[in-house]
Order: sequence, then structure tokens, then C-alpha cells
Amino acid sequence: MRPRASHIILAAAAVLLILLLAGEAVDPVLYAAENISTAAHADPSTIEKRSPGDAASVVPLMDELLGHTGTLALTIKVKDYESAERDLARYSELSSQFDRLVVKLDLSETDIAEFQKSNRQNQEALAALLNDSQRLDELKSLEIEVLDGDQRMAVIYEGEALRQKMRETYTAYAKREPETTRIATHYGANATPYQESVEVIAEVAGAAEDWQADAPRSPLNISVTPREGRYGENLSIGGRYADGVPGTPLTIYVDSRIAGNTTLDENAAYAYPYRIGRILAGPHLVYATAGAIFSEVATFDVLPAETNISLAIAEVNRTAVACTGNLTTEDGRPVLEAPVILRVDGETLISTETDGNGTYARTLVLTGGEHTIRAEFNAAGYPLNSSRSQVETLQVRGEGLSPFPFIAAIAAALGAGWYIRRRGLPEEHPVQEEPDIEPPPEIAETVPSVEIEGLPPREAATLLFRALRERLGIPASKTPRECARLAPDHAAFFERYERIRYAGEVPTEEELRSMEREALGRG
Amino acid sequence: MAGAKKYYAAAVLVVWLIIVTFFMILNRTLDLEVFFVLSLIGLLVVAVLIDGAFSRPRYMRYIGYLIVVEVAIFAYIVAEKILEIIAA
Amino acid sequence: MQRETWVVILVLLLAGGALYLHITTTTEEFSRHNIGWNGTSNLPAEDVRDLSRLDPGSTLLILAPDRPFTAAEVGYLRAFLDGGGRIIIADEEGAANPLLADLESEIRVRPGNLSSLERDYAHPGLFKGYVVGNDTLFAGVETVLLNRPAAVEGGEPLVETSVFTWDDIDGDGHVGEGETFGRRVVCAREGNLIVLGDASLFINAMLPENTKFIENLQPVQIDAVHSRTGSRNPIINTLTWIEERPPAVAALAALAILPVAWRFGRKRE
Repeated sequence: MRPRASHIILAAAAVLLILLLAGEAVDPVLYAAENISTAAHADPSTIEKRSPGDAASVVPLMDELLGHTGTLALTIKVKDYESAERDLARYSELSSQFDRLVVKLDLSETDIAEFQKSNRQNQEALAALLNDSQRLDELKSLEIEVLDGDQRMAVIYEGEALRQKMRETYTAYAKREPETTRIATHYGANATPYQESVEVIAEVAGAAEDWQADAPRSPLNISVTPREGRYGENLSIGGRYADGVPGTPLTIYVDSRIAGNTTLDENAAYAYPYRIGRILAGPHLVYATAGAIFSEVATFDVLPAETNISLAIAEVNRTAVACTGNLTTEDGRPVLEAPVILRVDGETLISTETDGNGTYARTLVLTGGEHTIRAEFNAAGYPLNSSRSQVETLQVRGEGLSPFPFIAAIAAALGAGWYIRRRGLPEEHPVQEEPDIEPPPEIAETVPSVEIEGLPPREAATLLFRALRERLGIPASKTPRECARLAPDHAAFFERYERIRYAGEVPTEEELRSMEREALGRG
Repeated sequence: MAGAKKYYAAAVLVVWLIIVTFFMILNRTLDLEVFFVLSLIGLLVVAVLIDGAFSRPRYMRYIGYLIVVEVAIFAYIVAEKILEIIAA
Repeated sequence: MQRETWVVILVLLLAGGALYLHITTTTEEFSRHNIGWNGTSNLPAEDVRDLSRLDPGSTLLILAPDRPFTAAEVGYLRAFLDGGGRIIIADEEGAANPLLADLESEIRVRPGNLSSLERDYAHPGLFKGYVVGNDTLFAGVETVLLNRPAAVEGGEPLVETSVFTWDDIDGDGHVGEGETFGRRVVCAREGNLIVLGDASLFINAMLPENTKFIENLQPVQIDAVHSRTGSRNPIINTLTWIEERPPAVAALAALAILPVAWRFGRKRE
């Protein structure tokens, strides 16, 4: 087959096409209609649908939280402390749920986050009020029993401290109310129980006031210097104990939780350095106890501060990346042991923590392809504002090619090849008959007499063919081509005869004579 | 006409591929793997239909090799997809 | 030889079909000749070019206007409104504000990047609006799927978004500095004038999402002169021009038929 120009062009085009396609084979989806959008609109049939998410549950949760403040305040007022404890547990559970929702929906910079902070403060205030009310009741009953002078004074001082605490708590609670109500009504939540709770708490705090209208001042005084600070700063809590013995141990309480211990020095004074750590922004109460003697209550303010978080990504191996970064306040103070959230691809949240230097490090295992990671600091429970880092995009190489598909391809090729060979689909038949047929020399001796004079050339050729076939001992059913295959020595004769017989060619005299010689075995 | 069957076979194959392409464009998704698999099906069907029991024309001699190569690639694609499904 | 001819004819037919489709359609947004996802070819409406001859009592839709209205046209529109006709202005970019001022309406369109947290799709601009007003246009419709709408100020609110919607000024997909959540009105009414802040409700891809709304809209006429439903393609415009004039259509038909009739009508020699 002579290669014609069209064949060459076709072959070249086919090779070029296969090369181009092979180039795309790594990413076989050449085009998919996904996320088609222009400035004015997006094509909804190409945008991925997703479940409506939890945005719808935010407002009902706000409703529940505000409702709980109402019921809690009432149970505290009627002194049903057991159900108040249960209520408080439920309330705190809902608050955590709300916190998680705020993180998940990425609402840290909205007024929902402000509501969340207020809610946290309300929860702590109500918990403190509950404990203080309970303690106050205990003191009232104690007061009646105890007649000893010292113990009596201790009870009075403690009662005074509690009164001041409840008063301060109520003041802060009432101050938060207008802003919280505004946010709640903006989102359509029902703030009435919350507003009523403020009045109820006023009554509770007022009841405490009524109990000891004129109590003497405690001999243990306390003050905070400076009166306000930010995260990481140190405040000095100190004072004097008028009747104190140097060396008496003192316990310092911040917001009704133990903050530390100190002792009276030789001047019956004490000073305790307090580092502002993980407490909420806003007013806080501090008091000290020396044995059974309670001091007065002092307040200090924690101011909010801005933070910065950084994110750096390094590749560890084909599927894992290491994310590290620093979390610091605006003044450069590191935020210690704070929760940091890594948001992968906008949806998945992985939490980690900063260590003692404000640095966090976490290794993530990701699937192959492109991913976006952002570090976020949520600042729940800290007197800090939340911050987020830049979005880092990275390509994960993913696991390398596994050998399984190649093995499968080779196995399939072998299987298909074997099947096609066996089946005899356009494949060469293995020439099995060849060794069998050896034109037996004995039969060739009988030379048949063939008379070809006077016959037309083609008929003569036919006779000669038959003679040769018989001479060679090939069965009469074989066609010229088969004879050529069976007797390769005479292949030329048979092929020439084939052309004469089937293609209508006419042999010349010369040819006939040489054919005659060959057919009869001479020459 | 000599080799009319050859031209018919090629024409049917081309028409089949055009239909496949048309539907891929209509669906706004151009996936090379889908196209390859469907073209393999077309080739196999056509090869079986035009194959004669008694003769083996020149254009059918080497189609066996082509089919083996395409089946190997098909097995590769299937194995890859299975791995993807297992990994997910 | 016969077979090859058939194949050639088939290929030429296919090519001719593809060419025809390519020439008579366009990819311009909102165009009536755009059969893609962002065209309005599937919207069942009539094109109206002459504002002085509107049917009183019918509905006129001004879709994404991009040409200014002359004083005479504003007069026709006002007369139309007074005569009981209903005008729906669908505008996402604020280009209708001068017209609204001329019509002495207090409604204004405030374009912006409204995004919502409460949505069913991964794209923040594709979310549901809730019908809050009473109007025959929204009869039987509770929610409308909006596609990057603009807020509408003034008038009587008909469709509002959920409360978790904000104007994403920096386009980062979440609420940041200076962006606040709030309910926004996307459709308002003043008498017979309805202003819809989302022209994308009428594109081909959005029609199956708001079927009841489109049903309530019928029968509707589109102001083809001022809306963005036309095309800049000269071939399409020529074809449209010809279609509108019956004498031109007749002339074209004659041009096509006469040679054929002459060829086959001659007596055989």
C-alpha cells in the first residue's frame, strides 16, 4: 500500500489529536458549568445547593436565652434555689450553644457578638446573684444563732460584702439592659422577660439592702490600683487590716472566685499583683477575706483591646500542612492559652490553642487540591476583640499515583489480548497445518498427462493449476491462495493463477509454457 | 463500490461521536473520560457488527490492537474511579 | 457519488443551522435574543416600542432601564398610570432613579451587594425574599428567590429580606466593619407603580424558580426602547426591524419566491 498524501495527513492529525488529549488526561473534566455568575446575577442551576444552615436558629436561641434570664431572676427572688440551679445549668448550656453558633456562622464582628458578650455577663451575674442570695440567707439564719462577738462581726462584715456585691452586680446588669434589648428587638426576639428580670433583680438587691441598713465598715479595706486595665496588665489589689496580725493569710476573690493568696506584712497591709487574664470586659468585683472576716467590695474595670492573629503555612509532606501563628494584643502582649479556630475551606472548623508564648501550631491533613485556611480568634470570655488572619490559599499535592490503576490497565490489556487471540477476531490464525502437509514426494512421480494445445489460455491455465495441485497432493478443495500457503515453493505459480482466474488476466504464451513446465514437474 | 462497508462504519462512528458531543454541550459539561468511554462502546459495537466470519479485510486487521489499548485505558479509568469512591 | 452528496448536504445543513443560531442570538445580558441562562428569551411578554400607544389597564414592565426617558415619555407614562395601567420597574443598578424622580415618586433604588446568611445556595447573593404586602402580583406567593437584588427605599413594602441580610460593601462574603444586619425591602409599591429591586427575576435561569410570580405577571408588555432587552448586534436589529414591518416581510418573501417561480414556471422549450 503506497502511502498517499491523504493517509499521511490523516495519520499526522490523529497523532496530534492524541497528544493534545493526552495532555488534558490529568484533568479530564475539560469544562463543567459551575458557579456561573456575573455582576448582576448568578445562574442558580450551576450553584451548589446547601442546607439552610443554622442562621434560622439564632433568633429562637436568643429568645430562649432572654426567657431564661426572666425565669432565673424569679426563682432567685422566691428563693427556690434548687430549680434556680437547674435553670442556671440549662442557661449555661444554651449559652455555650450560642457561642458555638456565633463561631460557626462567622458572626464575630456583628452585633450578635455584642449580644453574646452581654449574655455571658448576664449569665455570670445571675450565677453570682444566686450564690450570694443563698449565702445571704445562710448568714441571716447564722446571725440569729451566733451571739459570740467576733463571729457576729464576721457575719456582719460578710453580709456587708455580699450586699455590696449584689448592688454592684445589679447596677452592671441594669446598665447592660438597654443595649441588649435594642439588639434583641432589632432581630425580632422577645426582650420582655429580660426587661422584667431587671426589675426583679432590683427587688432582690433591694431586699439585701434592707437587711442591714447601717452596718459598720469592715476593718479590712481593699482597693485596686489602677482602677482599670486591659488584658495582660497588672493591677495591684491591696489595703490594710486595722486589727490585723502580721502574717495572717488572706485570700483574694475576684468575681467570687479565688484569685490568690497573700499575707499581711508587718504594717498590717497587703498587696497582691493581679494579672488581667481570661475575664470578661466590664466591671468586676474584688474582695478579700482574712479568716472569717470579709473586706469591703471594690470594683475595677477591664477595658477591651484589639488583637492581631497571624497565620503561616508550611508544607510537611504530600498531604499534611503545618499552620503556625501568633496571637497578640495591639500592645504586643501575647494572648496565652487562648482558643484559636482554623477555618478550612470556609466550612470546616478545627480548634487549637496558643501556648505560653501566644503561639499556636497545628498540623492538618488535607485532601489533594486547592484549599483556603484562615485563623480566627473568637475572644469569647476574654476582654479582647475577635480577630481573623488573612486567608491563605494553598495547593496540597495529595497522595501520589497509586499503582492499582496501572496494574488494572495491564491486566485488562492482557486479558483482552488473550481473548481476541483465542476468539480469532481479526488476528492471524496460527498456521497450524503447515508442518502436517509436506507434499509427499512419492505421489509426485505420477505425471498426469495434460493436453493444453488448442485450449483458450485461461482454460489452459486452469488445467495446469489442477495438475500441479494434484501433483503436489493438495486436496482439490483448496483455493489457489491456500495452495500458495501450503506449498510456498510454488507460491508464485498459484498467485499468478489466482490473478488469471479471478482478476480476469490473460496469460501469455511464455507464461503458459513456464507454467506447464512447473505443473508437470519439469524445469 | 470497493470498501463501502468501511465507509459506512466510519460514518456511523463519526455520527455517534457527534451525538455524544451534542449532548455533552447541551449538558454544559465536557468530560474527557465520559467521551472516551462512549467512543470505546461505539467502536466495539461497530467492530462486532462489520466483522465478517469469512474474510478479514485490511482495515479490520489491526483493530484488535486498538481495542486492546482502549480497553487498557478503560480499565485504568475504572480503577481510578473505584479508588476515588473508596477514599471518599 | 450519491452517498457523498448526501453527506455533504447533511454537513452543510448542520453548519447552516449552527450559523443561523449564532447570528440570530446574542450573549448580552437581559436580551430577548439571548437564549442562554442570562437572557430573557423565555419570558412570555410582548415588546412595545411606542409609549404613546399603550393599552390602558395593562401592565408595562421596564426591565433594567439604561436609556433616559424624555419628558414626553414621562408624560405618557403618567397618563398610563392615571388611566389604571400598572408599571413595574425592575432595576438593580439605580438607573431608574431619575425616572422615579420625574414620576414624582418617593421610591428610590439603592444598589448594593446584598448578601444573606439565611440561604439555600452556596452563593451569598442568591436568597429568598418574603412577601409582606398585599398585591395581586404576589398573590399566592410566599417567598421569592432573589438574585443579587438591590434595596428599595420608600413606598409600601411588598417583599422583604430576612433579618440576616447585609450589604457586603467589601465583598468578602461575611459581615465586617461598617456592615450591619437588617431587613431590607426589595420591592415597594406606590399606587399603581411597583418598583422591584431585582431585574434578574426575569432571566431564563430564574423563571422556573418563581413560577407563580411570573404567572401573576401575565399578560405583560415590555418597554423595548428603554429596557436592556434589546441587542447591539446589527444583524439581529435588522431582522427585528424587518419583522415589524409587514411590507418588508412581503418584499423579502417575493424576493425569494419569484426567481424560483420563474425558473420552474417557464414553459419547457
